Amino acid sequence: VPRKRKCDLRAVRVGLLLCGGGVYGSRFRFTFTGSRALSPWQVGQGRRCEMSTMFADTLLIVFISVCTALLAEGITWVLVYRTDKYKRLKAEVEKQSKKLEKKKETITESAGRQQKKKIERQEEKLKNNNRDLSMVRMKSMFAIGFCFTALMGMFNSIFDGRVVAKLPFTPLSYIQGLSHRNLLGDDTTDCSFIFLYILCTMSIRQNIQKILGLAPSRAATKQAGGFLGPPPPSGKFS
Amino acid sequence: MSGGRRKEEPPQPQLANGALKVSVWSKVLRSDAAWEDKDEFLDVIYWFRQIIAVVLGVIWGVLPLRGFLGIAGFCLINAGVLYLYFSNYLQIDEEEYGGTWELTKEGFMTSFALFMVCVADSFTTGHLDHLLHCHSL
Repeated sequence: VPRKRKCDLRAVRVGLLLCGGGVYGSRFRFTFTGSRALSPWQVGQGRRCEMSTMFADTLLIVFISVCTALLAEGITWVLVYRTDKYKRLKAEVEKQSKKLEKKKETITESAGRQQKKKIERQEEKLKNNNRDLSMVRMKSMFAIGFCFTALMGMFNSIFDGRVVAKLPFTPLSYIQGLSHRNLLGDDTTDCSFIFLYILCTMSIRQNIQKILGLAPSRAATKQAGGFLGPPPPSGKFS
Repeated sequence: MSGGRRKEEPPQPQLANGALKVSVWSKVLRSDAAWEDKDEFLDVIYWFRQIIAVVLGVIWGVLPLRGFLGIAGFCLINAGVLYLYFSNYLQIDEEEYGGTWELTKEGFMTSFALFMVCVADSFTTGHLDHLLHCHSL
């Protein structure tokens, strides 16, 4: 069946490109040959092929997400995780976080001023270590940002205008800008590449980090909130 | 409170930061298991949430359960099942882990994203024929 074979070839081409590593931006644009006169049987077969392609696209995007998550962790491992400075800082932060957490749990409201000052000093020290840790991570963030900008340019051009999945619900209006991005028609249950990719990344990346043992500890994440966000409450006595 | 019901067990080794050894999963279904390491227990809650997200995502997509009813149903079942597990079955003291809210939000957003992926994939897969007939050229 010639039309089905064209769909398979398309999928194979995309797959080969992914395996090649593709940091070539949007130079590689796939155009799909279209309009010619078709019989009703061929039209039906064509629609079935489109739906099969949609299913293949869905799986492909999940696969892309897994690969990009592994790539990001790989880059971070090469640039950051394997360095002695990072290992030392991470161990220090985790030790201090756990110690601080235990101290905060045992301290009472009637604790002396000395103890409160001691805890504040420890918090300050932890905050500085967290900041240093973030600085060390900055290298990999730039590298990942550069790679992913190029990769996203390529993927966006590959999947431009293609409905990659169907959603069983209509997204909220402010999310439709993302879920229906660059898609023709008014069917808001059509899902674009970028929306599915973001969902995949949100779910898969953290799970991969946890499986590989690269996720930061909870205590460290909690204490680090003071650097990137609002400072954590400094105990019951504040 | 619940500490008196727990038996003393030798500390179980755990892989770093989130991955769990097989021995941890053997404690999961035992209501009398002791959880000395808080992170270990929170990791169990986290992975349970991911499993529930995958299972519900596939079921919701195949049924299909359309609209926000499906999403609300997922949120309720995800939070409810885990709450019953740690509160009624394991009878742990939630305050030791920062309260019910901390346990409820452990891994919730990741599981929600995973649920959305599974539901979109299974809905697209399970209804190819239906979508084919509904769409006219």
